[in-house]
Amino acid sequence: MKKRLLAITAILSLGAGTGSATTHPDTFTYATISDADTLDPAWAYDTASHSIMLNIYEPLFFFDKSSTEKLVPLTAAKIPTRENGGISADGKVYRIPIRKGVKFHDGTPMTPEDVRYSIIRFLLLDRAAGPSSLLLEPILGTPTTRDEKGALKPDIFKAAEKAVRVEGDVLVLTLPQPYAPLLSILASWGPVLSKAWAVKRGDWDGAEASLPALNNLKKESSAFFESSNGTGPFKLERWDRKTKEVILARNDGYWKGPAKLKRVIIKGINEVGTRKLMLQAGDVDSVYADRSVYSQFQNLPGVQILDGQATMEINPIAFFTFQVSAAGNPYLGSGKLDGQGIPADFFSDIDVRKGFAYAFDYDGYIKDVFGGKGVRARGAIPKSLPGYNPKQAIYSLDLGKAKEHFQKAWGGKVWSEGFRFTLVFNSGNSARQNLCQIMKRMIESVNPKFTVDVRAVEWPTFLDAITSSKLPIFVMGWNADYPDPHNFAFPLLHTHGDFPGRQKFSNPEFDKIIEAANRETNLAKRKQLYAKLQQLEYEFVPHMVFVEQYRYRTQRNWVKGWYHNPVFPDSPYGGYYYPISKQ
Amino acid sequence: MAKFILKRLLFLPFVMLGVTALLFAALQFLSPEMRASLYIKDPRQLSALESVIEKYGLRKPLPVQYGIWLKQVIKGDLGYSETAKMPVAEAVKAFFPATLELTVAAFFPILILGVYFGTLSAVYKDKWLDHVTRFVAITGYSLPSFVLGLLLLMIFYGKLQWFPPGRYSLDVDLLTHSEAFGHYTGLLTLDCILNGQWKALGDVLKHLVLPACTLTYISVALLLRITRSSMLEELGKDYIRTAKAKGLPGNVIVKKHALRNTLIPVVTLSSLLFINLLGGVVITETVFDYPGIGRWGVVAAQQLDIAGVLGSTLLAATLFVLANLVSDILYAVVDPRIRVG
Repeated sequence: MKKRLLAITAILSLGAGTGSATTHPDTFTYATISDADTLDPAWAYDTASHSIMLNIYEPLFFFDKSSTEKLVPLTAAKIPTRENGGISADGKVYRIPIRKGVKFHDGTPMTPEDVRYSIIRFLLLDRAAGPSSLLLEPILGTPTTRDEKGALKPDIFKAAEKAVRVEGDVLVLTLPQPYAPLLSILASWGPVLSKAWAVKRGDWDGAEASLPALNNLKKESSAFFESSNGTGPFKLERWDRKTKEVILARNDGYWKGPAKLKRVIIKGINEVGTRKLMLQAGDVDSVYADRSVYSQFQNLPGVQILDGQATMEINPIAFFTFQVSAAGNPYLGSGKLDGQGIPADFFSDIDVRKGFAYAFDYDGYIKDVFGGKGVRARGAIPKSLPGYNPKQAIYSLDLGKAKEHFQKAWGGKVWSEGFRFTLVFNSGNSARQNLCQIMKRMIESVNPKFTVDVRAVEWPTFLDAITSSKLPIFVMGWNADYPDPHNFAFPLLHTHGDFPGRQKFSNPEFDKIIEAANRETNLAKRKQLYAKLQQLEYEFVPHMVFVEQYRYRTQRNWVKGWYHNPVFPDSPYGGYYYPISKQ
Repeated sequence: MAKFILKRLLFLPFVMLGVTALLFAALQFLSPEMRASLYIKDPRQLSALESVIEKYGLRKPLPVQYGIWLKQVIKGDLGYSETAKMPVAEAVKAFFPATLELTVAAFFPILILGVYFGTLSAVYKDKWLDHVTRFVAITGYSLPSFVLGLLLLMIFYGKLQWFPPGRYSLDVDLLTHSEAFGHYTGLLTLDCILNGQWKALGDVLKHLVLPACTLTYISVALLLRITRSSMLEELGKDYIRTAKAKGLPGNVIVKKHALRNTLIPVVTLSSLLFINLLGGVVITETVFDYPGIGRWGVVAAQQLDIAGVLGSTLLAATLFVLANLVSDILYAVVDPRIRVG
C-alpha cells in the first residue's frame, strides 16, 4: 500500500511545475480583471479594449519608448514638421508620407488609401460618447457628426473627404485651424485598417450613400467587433468571450521584424487570489493588481514589483448622472423620492451633489487604500500637465456641511424622506470597490434614512450601463489619450465630451472656456483659462475627484524588455508586447 | 416496465408546464419595462422599449402573456444574457457541457464512496471505521465549498503545483481550438478520447481533480449517512436474521440480501444529489475559474442579468424533472413492488 502511495505521489510530482522556470518561453500571459468591450478601434474607448488593439493595429506615429512628448513614425514614413515641409507655415496643412512595404495580417499590402479610409471611418463612425471627437475636433472643427436633434449633418461626408486626402504616397490633412496636439493624437488614434477586408465583410464601403449605416453603429454590427486585420506586431488569433480570453499570435510578416514572443494571452480572472496563485506558479507572467492588494504580492519568490510608475490619469472619479435612463432600470429602487428609491433626475440638484462631495473621507481613502502612494486630485487636470492648479480648492470630509446641503436638497424632501439607490463598480477593481464602500458608509452615517447599495458588475456590462445612462453614480477613471490638458477638460466637462454625454449634463460656460483654451497658443493665458475652468468645476460638482496615484507592476523575473508609458492604455499592467521577451 | 416508463413520460409535459408556470409567475414581480429589457441587446434600443413591450405583449392579460412567453421558450428565445454577451440559449449550449463534465466527474466518486463506506460504516457500527467515516461526513457536510475549494487550491496548486485552476492548460487550449480537433460532444474528456489525444485528456482530467474533489467531499456525507442508516435498518430485519440462522456468510448477507434493499432510498437520493451537484458547482466553478454554467449563473445573479438567471433556472428545473424521472425508473428497477403498485 505504501509503495502504491509513493508511486502515485511520484507520478503527480512529475506533472508539477516548480514555478521557477517558464514552461512557455515564447508565450506571455497576462491575467486581468476586464474583458474587452470590442476590437473596433473606431468604437472602443476603454483601456481593456484599447490595450489589446495597441498590439494589433498601428497608428501613424508612436511615442518613443517612455516619452510622452517625443514621437517616432510608424505607419507614417516620417514625422512632419514645419522644417521638413510636412506642416504648412500657417499650421493648417499636414503632409504625411506613408511608409511603403507594410503588409496587413492577411498578407495584402497597406496603401495610403487604407490610411485615408481608416481616418475617415474613425471620424464618421462617431458612436455616442465614443473616441471620434478626438479627431473630429482638430480635423473637422466640430466634436460631433450629428446635429442637436441627433441627425447626421448633411455636409459631414464631403467635409471629411476634403479634409483627409491622398496625393500619391502622401496623406494630406487640412485643418480648419492650427491644432498643436494633433500629432500626439495620431500617435494613438485612427490606426490603419484594411479597406478591402472591411468591405468584403460588409463594413462601410467608404461611400456617402452608406454612411448612415456606419454613423453611431451598433457595437456588434462592426466587421471589426471580434475580428481584425491590422498591420501591428500581433494578430488576433481568438477572442473567446466564454472564457474571457484574448489570444494574439505573432505577425511574422511585421515590417519591423517579428516580435520575440510567439503568442500573447490576455485572460480575464476576477479573483485576486487565483491571479496571485497563477503568478506564483508561473502560469501567468504579469497580473493586474492595484494598490489595495499590494501586500499580497510582496516578497513572492520569482516575482518582481516595479513600483512608483507615474500615471497621467485621474482615477477613480465618481460621476453623477443628472438624468438617469429610468426605463427597465434596476439601480433606482422605486424611482421616487420615497425613501425606497430616487427619481431619475436626483443628481441634477446641486445640493445633492455637494452633500455627496462633503461626505467622503478623501485623506483616509488615500492613506488606507493607496498606502499613501498618491496625492489629492484637485480637479479635471492632472498635475503632470500644464493647466493644473496646485492652489485649487478641494472638498474635504465635513459631515456638518454635507448635512446642510442634504437638508436643502429637493426642497427638504431628501432629508425628510431619505433615499435608496445602487452604486456600481466594475468587479475586481478593489480601489473602486473600497471607494463605493466608504461612500456607502459615510452617506448612511449622515442620515439613517439614506441607503446606498453596492454591487459589482463585469467590465463590458458596466460600460453598457454607463453608455445607456443607467447608473445614478458610476465610478471610473480617465487616462490620457494624448498628453494635453484638453484631453481631460473636453471628455470630463464639455457638453460633447465622453462623460457629460453619459451624465446628461451641459454647461455652456464650461464649453466656452474649453474651446477658448484649446484655441489659445499662449501657454500662460491657456493656464489661466484652465484655472478658471477648474474653479467652476469645483462649484458645479459634476463629479468627485479623489487621487492621483502611483501604480506598480507585478511580473515574473523572467520578463524582459517591458517599459511603462503613462499614455499606453492599461499601463503599467498590460501594455505593448512587441519589446517583451522571457528569459 | 415499458408501461410504467411510458406513463411517467406522459406526465413529463405536465410537470414541465407547471415548472414554466412557476417561473412565469416569478417573472411577474418585474415591471413590463424590466421584462422588456430582457430582450434588448444594445443599450441604445432602450428608447424602443415600448415597441418591445408591444411585440412581446407584456401588458396583455396574464394567460395571453403566458402563452406568448411559452411559445418563445419552446422556440429557445429566452432573451439576451448581458453577462454572457450572447443569447441565453447559446450561452446554455456554450457553458453546460463543462458543468456536466464536472458534475459527472464528482457524481460517480460520490456514489461509489458513499455506498461503499456507508455500508462498511453500518457493518462495523461503533468501530473505528464507523467513527472515521462519521467524522469525514460531518466535516464535509459543514464545510462551505468556497473554503474547501480555496484551501485545496492553495495546497495543491499554490504549494505543490499539481492541479491548476481553469479547464485546461495553454497547450490543450490551442489544440482544442485548432481545426484538427473535432468537437463531437462538447465534453472535453470525451472529445479528447474521440480525437485520440491522450496527453490532452490527462491535462483536462488534471484540471478536473480539484473542483471534483471539492464537490465530492462536500456531497458524499449525505449519501454516506443515508446508506449507513438504511443498511442498519435492513440488517436488523427478520429476513437477515433468518439468513444468519441458515449460516450464510456475513459478506453474502450484506451484498446479496441487505444491499439491494438498502439501495432503494439511495437511488432516490442519488438523482436529487445529481441536481444538488449542478447547484453546488455555482461556487466551485467560481473559485476554480472553471467556465461552466455555475460561474455564469453567479455573475448573472450578481449583475441582475435576469435573462441569464432565468435561463440557468429553467435549465436546472428541466434537469430536476428529468432526474426525477430517472430516479423513478431506477426505483422501479430496484424495487419491483413499485411497478406493480
